[in-house]
Parts: sequence; C-alpha cells; structure tokens
Amino acid sequence: MSTNLDTTNLKTDEMIINMGPQHPATHGVLRLILKLDGEIVRHVEPVIGHLHRAQEWQGQNRTLFQYQALIDRVDYLSGMFTSLAFAHACEQIDGCQIPPRAQYLRALVCEMNRISSHLLWLGTFLIDLGALFGFPFYPFREREKLLDLFEEIAGQRMMFNYIRIGGVQRDPKQSWFEKVRKFTAEFPDRINEYEAIVTQNPIVLKRTKGVGILDKSVAMDYGVTGPSIRGSGINYDLRKTRPYGIYPELNFEIPLGQNQGDTWDRYMCRILEMRQSNNLINQCLDKMPEGEILGKKQIAGLRIKAGEGFAAIESPRGVLGCYVISNGSDKAYRIRWRNPSFCNLAVLPSLLIGRPISDIMAIFGSIDVILPDVDR
Amino acid sequence: MSQTDTNKPNETKEMEVGKFGKFLKDNGIDSTRKEDSINVETIVISAKDLEPALRLLKTSSETKLNMLLTVSGVDYTDRIDSIYHLWSYDHNDALVIKVELPKQSQANTDTVNLTSIANFWSAANWHERETYDLVGIRYLRHPYLRRILNPWDWEGHPLRRDYKQLVDALNDKNPHSFR
Amino acid sequence: MLANSAELFKFTRLTLIWLTIIFGSVWGACFVVGVLIPTLLLHLGENEIFALLAQICQYLTPVIAILVFIPINAMFMVLVERRGLALFTVRMGPNRVGPDGLLQTAADAVKLLFKEDIIPTGADAWLFTLAPIIFFAPSIFGSIPLLAAITGNNDLFAITNLPTGIFFIIAASSVPVVGIVMGGWASNNKYSLVGGLRSAAQAISYEIPLVLSLVTICYLNQSLNVVEIASRQTGGFLNWNIFGGGALNGLDKYFNALINGSSNANDILQAYYPSNQWILTVIAIAGLVVSTIIAFFMYITAACAEVNRIPFDLPEAESELVSGYNTEYSGIKFAIFFLAEFTNLFIVSSIATIMFLGAGNNPIPQFLIDYLFKNVTFIPQTINAITQALSPLINQIHLINPITFWSVVWMIVKTYSLVFFAVLVRGTLPRFKIDQLMDFGWKRLIPLSLLVFFIVIFAKGVINTNV
Repeated sequence: MSTNLDTTNLKTDEMIINMGPQHPATHGVLRLILKLDGEIVRHVEPVIGHLHRAQEWQGQNRTLFQYQALIDRVDYLSGMFTSLAFAHACEQIDGCQIPPRAQYLRALVCEMNRISSHLLWLGTFLIDLGALFGFPFYPFREREKLLDLFEEIAGQRMMFNYIRIGGVQRDPKQSWFEKVRKFTAEFPDRINEYEAIVTQNPIVLKRTKGVGILDKSVAMDYGVTGPSIRGSGINYDLRKTRPYGIYPELNFEIPLGQNQGDTWDRYMCRILEMRQSNNLINQCLDKMPEGEILGKKQIAGLRIKAGEGFAAIESPRGVLGCYVISNGSDKAYRIRWRNPSFCNLAVLPSLLIGRPISDIMAIFGSIDVILPDVDR
Repeated sequence: MSQTDTNKPNETKEMEVGKFGKFLKDNGIDSTRKEDSINVETIVISAKDLEPALRLLKTSSETKLNMLLTVSGVDYTDRIDSIYHLWSYDHNDALVIKVELPKQSQANTDTVNLTSIANFWSAANWHERETYDLVGIRYLRHPYLRRILNPWDWEGHPLRRDYKQLVDALNDKNPHSFR
Repeated sequence: MLANSAELFKFTRLTLIWLTIIFGSVWGACFVVGVLIPTLLLHLGENEIFALLAQICQYLTPVIAILVFIPINAMFMVLVERRGLALFTVRMGPNRVGPDGLLQTAADAVKLLFKEDIIPTGADAWLFTLAPIIFFAPSIFGSIPLLAAITGNNDLFAITNLPTGIFFIIAASSVPVVGIVMGGWASNNKYSLVGGLRSAAQAISYEIPLVLSLVTICYLNQSLNVVEIASRQTGGFLNWNIFGGGALNGLDKYFNALINGSSNANDILQAYYPSNQWILTVIAIAGLVVSTIIAFFMYITAACAEVNRIPFDLPEAESELVSGYNTEYSGIKFAIFFLAEFTNLFIVSSIATIMFLGAGNNPIPQFLIDYLFKNVTFIPQTINAITQALSPLINQIHLINPITFWSVVWMIVKTYSLVFFAVLVRGTLPRFKIDQLMDFGWKRLIPLSLLVFFIVIFAKGVINTNV
C-alpha cells in the first residue's frame, strides 16, 4: 500500500460561522462572517452598522450647540477627544482665541481620558485572551477613580460635554487638581502591578508573540493610525508630527513597537503610552496658568463663520478627524467624521486569514476597536 | 428654520496654483485651486483625472501623500462633491482634492457616478462604501460596493439634502408603526 | 495587613457554615438510613423480612451519601468560586440572597430548575437529552470507591472498598467526554460542535499523563486499592506519596525513635538506608522524591484539562465559542452540566488528596507532637481523658467514631485547599490556544510522565521501603 497520501488536494467542507453580533467578545455588535476550514479562518467579512446612530445626519440637522452635547457618544470611551476634534474644527473656521488655561485643561483631561480608555482596553484584551475572571478588574479599579474625577468637573462619568467651542466649560476647584496629583502619584505603581501579572506571563507571551503581524506597507495602505501602527514601528503621532494645542510645550516621547508589529507590540505600546500620559498629566498640572477658560459665549444660537475646517487629533485609537462645512448659520452644512476605529477595523480581514479561531479575538482585541466609533 | 438648512455655502473664489497643483500640472493633469479657510491646499479636478492623479500623488517620491484620511461626499443640491483628504506618514503637507459631480436632475434617487480608487488604495474601500451608502455616489469598479452602515434593503441615501424617510417605524403617531 | 481582610473573614465564615450544612446533612442522611431505620426494624421483631430490609438499608447508605452530597456540594463550590474570585479581584461577590450571600447558589439552582427547557430547532432531541446524563453519571459512580477511603474504611461504607478502585475511577473519568461530544453534536450549533470536538482532542491528549502519574503512585504502593494506598500514608507528611511514596518512611521512624529516646534509632536508619551503598541510596531517594512531586503537579495539570478549567477551558472558551458545548442548553439540562462540572472538580481534587496528600491521615508527624508537648504533658493527657470519657457516647452514635471523623475532617481540609487552588488559577491565567494545548500535552507532559515512571521503577528497585 502506498504511504504517499496526498493531503494537499484532500478537501473538507468549509464551515460558515456568524460570529456576532451577539457574542461575548466582539466588543459590542460587530458581526464577522467567518469561513472556517476546521479551526483555520479562510475568509472574513466584517458586517458593521448595528450601532449606527446617524451622527453625521444629526450634525447637519441639530444646531451646533445641541450637537456639542451629542458627540461624546461617537466614541464613548474617549468623549473628550471627539469633543476636542469638533471644537478644533469649528475654531479653525471661526478663528476664535482659546485662553491658555483652557488649552492646558484640554490637554489634561484628554490625557486622563487616554489613560481611562487604555485601561478599559487592557481589561477587555485580557478577557479576549481568556482570563475571564481574574485580571480584568484591576484596570477597572483605576478607571473608576478617573471616572469619578471626570464626574467632578463635567457632571457626567462618560458623556462629558466638557470641551466646548472656544474653551472648556467649567473651571475645576483646587482640590480637584490635588486629587489628580494623588492619582498620578500612585498610578505608575499600578501599571507595574499589571505588568507583573501580564507581561511575564508565559501563556500571554505564547498567545501574543508573533500573532497578527501588521506589516508596515499594509498598515499604511489601509490608513491605520494610533498605537496599532506605532506597534509596527512607524513613528506617527499627531502630538509630535502635527502638534496641536499646547503639546509643543510639553516634553514626551512616543513609544514604538520593538519587534515586527505583532499583538505583543501593540500591547506594549499602549502600556508605555499610559506611563507617558501619566507624565504628561503631571507636566500639565505643573504648568497650569491662571485665567479665563472660555473664549466664546455658549448660547443656544451659537454660530460660527462660513467656511470649511478639518481638524485631526491623536485619540487613544488613532487619528480622529472632524470635517465641518459651515454656511454661517447655527447649523453646520455638513459634518463628517474620520474615525480611527473605522479605518483600523478595515485591516482586520487581512490579519485574520490563515489564523485559528483563538487568534481572532486576540488580534481583534489588540487593534482596539470601539464599535460606536465604527458605526457612528 | 428649514430655509437655513438648505442654504448652501457661498462658492469660494479661485486662487493661485499651489505646490501640488503645480506638480499635477507638470504631469499633465489640470486642476483649479479653491480658496480655503484653514491654509490647506484645496484643488478641484475633473472626474476622469481622479484615478491617475491619486495614483501619482500616492506613489510619487516627490509628493508621497500616502495617507488617505477620508473620502467624504457632500450634497450641494445641484451637484455632489466627492472630497479626498490626503496626508502623509512622512511629512506635514496636506492636500484636499474635490471632484464636482453635477446631478442630472433634482430627484433623490438620482445617482452620480465616479471611478473608484479602492483597487489601488485599500483605505478607500470602506470610505467609498460609506459614501455610497449615505450620500449616494456610485463608485464604478469598486470591488464590493454595498451598503455598509445602513441595512442592505434601506431605501435612499440619508445625507442627501432632500432625503425623506418613508415610514417612521418606531413613531407612535404613525399608524403603520411596529409598536 | 490585607486590604480586604473583612471580605476574607466573611469568606471563611461562609465556608465554615456551608461545610457544616453539607456534612451535617450527609451525616444525618447516613445516620437515618444506615443506623436508625435498621435499629428500629430490628427492634420491631425477630423477622426475616425485617432483617433483610435492615440489611438493604445499610447497603443503601453509600448511595444516599453520594446523592445527598453531590448537589449540596456543587452549590457550595459554585459559591466558593464566585466569592473566591471576587476576593482575588477586589470585588464583593454575591452578597444579597440570604445572610451575606449564603443562599445565592441555592436560589440559582431553584431558578435553573424552573426555567424553560428548550430543545433548539434541528437538534437531535434524543442525544441532546442524553448528553447531560452521560456527562453526569460517571461523576456519581466514579466517586463510589472514594467513599471508603474518605471515611477511613467505616463499616457502613466498607462495601465500596473495591480492590481495583483506582482503575474503576480512571475508567469512569474517561466517560464524560462522550457526553460533551454528544451534546456538541446534537445541539445543531457550530460553536457547540467545535467545542465538543476540541473537548475530545483535549481529553485524549491529557488522559495519558493523568493515568501515568496515577500509575506511578500505584506502582510505588503496589496496590490499586484506594483504601490501602491511603492507609500506607499514615503518620505525618513524610509518609505521603508526594514525598517519594514511602522513601522517607525510614526518616520518619528514625525521628520518632530519636525523640522518644529509644536506643535503636541508628539501627532503624541502617535497616532502611544501608550505609554501604549510601551514594546510590541518596540518589535513589532524591530521584523518587523529585519524580513524585513532578507527578503530583502533572496530575494537577492534566486534571485541570480533564475537567475543563482555565487555562484549559477550550471546550467552553467563552470569548471564542460563546459557551462551547453547552451553548444551547438551558434549564435543568444546563444545571446538570454545571453540577457535573463542579462535582468532577471535587472528585479530581479528592483523588489527588488520596493518592498524593495522605488521604484522611493527620499531616502532623507523631514525633513533632511528641517534641512540642514533651514538657507540657498535661495537654495530651487531658485530650486522652476527654476522649476516654466520651468514647461510650461516641460509640453509641455509630458514624462519629473518631477515626471516621478525623479522616473526614482532614479530607475536607486538603480537598478544598486544592479546589481553592483551582479557583486561584482561574483568577490568574489566560487560556491556551488549541495547538499550544496539544503541543504541551504531547511534547511536554507525556514524555515527562514516562520519564518519571521509569525513574520511579529504577529507584524503587534500589531502596527498600518495606522493612
């Protein structure tokens, strides 16, 4: 009997699985149509839009003042950033002056929001890897403290409506700054704690090293931004390359991935970014000037000049852009969002082909997608 | 209120040719520069020049505009603009390209056609699908032009100025409501 | 000081209350069936039928004990797991139903029993119903031989003392995977199917190191009988199978002799470990001790894989396969799956205790007690006096004879420590990937278990453990 069994042409049935929208680990309502050969993924089609709330339509049918309160929902984990992008775009058109204290407050709350967003990512990423019960609650403990601080200045824990066109809404009390200082003093220890559990864990290393390698050229072709592309070694951070606000005055470095851009690099980038943000918060607190906080009067009939403005900022997930076309009335003529999650998610199919089921969630978790941000 | 809604912005004036406009001119592609309020070169090119122009701008070592931020569509009632925001991973220049597509008639179902760039620029794939879905620009030769944010059987393009939702299924006052 | 010491205190209190409930109810049931009813029957009259009924009642006692124990124990273990995980993850855990959350899992069980029992469209109804039963049945009959070892071979449980007990348990433990594959296949759900197939692959891979590590211990003790294996580990932790399976027996006896001032201490040492070949002896003892410790940890690892615990919970894999093979199950069928899962965890923990950790024997060696109470003799004397005084009473209440009582207490302590360890692991580690799992099983564990087995065979030949 011949032993040369030709297995290359041995074809088995491919199985089509609908992963999501109701699935414990799709971070909300992503639906992946998977074609599986055994446990190996052969074809992926992401189906999005289950959380579509017509943010762009609302932008051109609500007044600017009304819409300001809505845009925190675009990306609910980093509401400060969506507000900031919108405010920047409107300020570009209007040319209004932003007081320096407001600039510093914006940078301060944004960096805090970056930490809280990364903390939630860290917890859910570990859930994606299968550490369902133990670890994920440690980052949430620190996130809770940050949300309490946000609640004190904005009145809400996630939907802040704090950054407005022309400045920020409320001036925090002195005691709030002290609380922030207290947080930043203990936070590096907490990151050390997470790293002690995760970074040296052999199972985590096995699950992440060499998994989901995002090639530089592929990433650039798809327009991937944020920690996902910095993990691949491309130094692209708007805070450095196209500095906005007060970032030129601050001293910081951009962490880059050390290997070839795998899941592990993206994880490490975010961990280092949290340390960097903690440092930035301290610098903002040290340099905080006194003075006004709002350069434009907040009234129901808020108007900006006619024109087009495109502002982009570095959100925790990448370049968050806002394109506003104004005709001088109290409503914008057209508002267009450039969401980092939307662009980063497009690269997912090319990462998943040929990987087993277990890697789907590790890779998907590592590019850090927020579904409301994808679907708007 | 509805008057200001459809009150479209004034036409912007033309300006002198900029850096990228000159580069395109050298390569045989005509463009006109429009006035912009934020100091970013904004050019208008014709629909047939779009694909060669973008291919050139992406790959040429002179320009290296290799980052496509968005493809957006704007309905100006008599025409629809397809707008491309180009940045670069390597330098700080930026370019906005507009393609003006006149509508045949005022009807909502009217589609306008434009060549797709998704075949050589993967970033455009989902953005073009979204623009098709919401604004209704039909990108020809797109690999998979289907609705992306709305359900596949949705009627009309919601970001058109004259869009009316046919049945408000969740409105209590509607006799055809599902509630 | 621990930050959440208040929670720790609550957790301990809850554990003690639940353990009292479990073993009180099991003892009560056994007492009624095994002692009270037969006694009453025999008092009714000298009748053959009554005598037969009394005997049947006595034989029923082990069955009653298992049937009462399993559901209550599973409830307790679920509560321990949830509160334990809460303890590790700075949360509160369930604390609303009953005093301090004591009755949470009882309420859950009631809820599950009253939920609608759904058989999905396209499912194979027969197999779908049969799967939880096949999954659950082995955990009942697999635990039978353990009863004799746990109770210190009490008269009422003596019939469960099988001569090939461990063989029986291993045979029983390989059945549940059939239930999982069956449930996964019959559910008409692709997640369930993948989960079921993963489970089959995993069970086949990890059965081998599991059995090999147990066979090592059986070989060391020259027996397949769990009661005999347990009885060979009496007298302190030095005699436990985890420390060489009798390799340190001589050391234990030597210390005993030394502390009691006996003159033949050196003779004992000489008899066990002859000095004319001491290099060989030392190497053999070291080999034995190291390889049995490795065997213990191999057993724990393989057992985690057998009962689908994190980091080997691939058949369930919540973040990948929704819930794996039990995705489509609801109501009482799901409850049975759940029950069996936790019962299996308890069974593998108690097998580990019996085979490696000295079963129900006192872990404190006699010489240590002697040494500590050398100058304060009144304490052991008082204890002895109290025991003497109470012995008529204790003998009247049959089941609480001191041997059974202490055996059960030590079993509880050791077994639930292992269960708690499993909870701790669950609160710490992420999940393996299926190919890594297979690699780990076939390329690491199986060669290692074979190596351990051969080392034990050679080392056992060198040293003399039966003097």
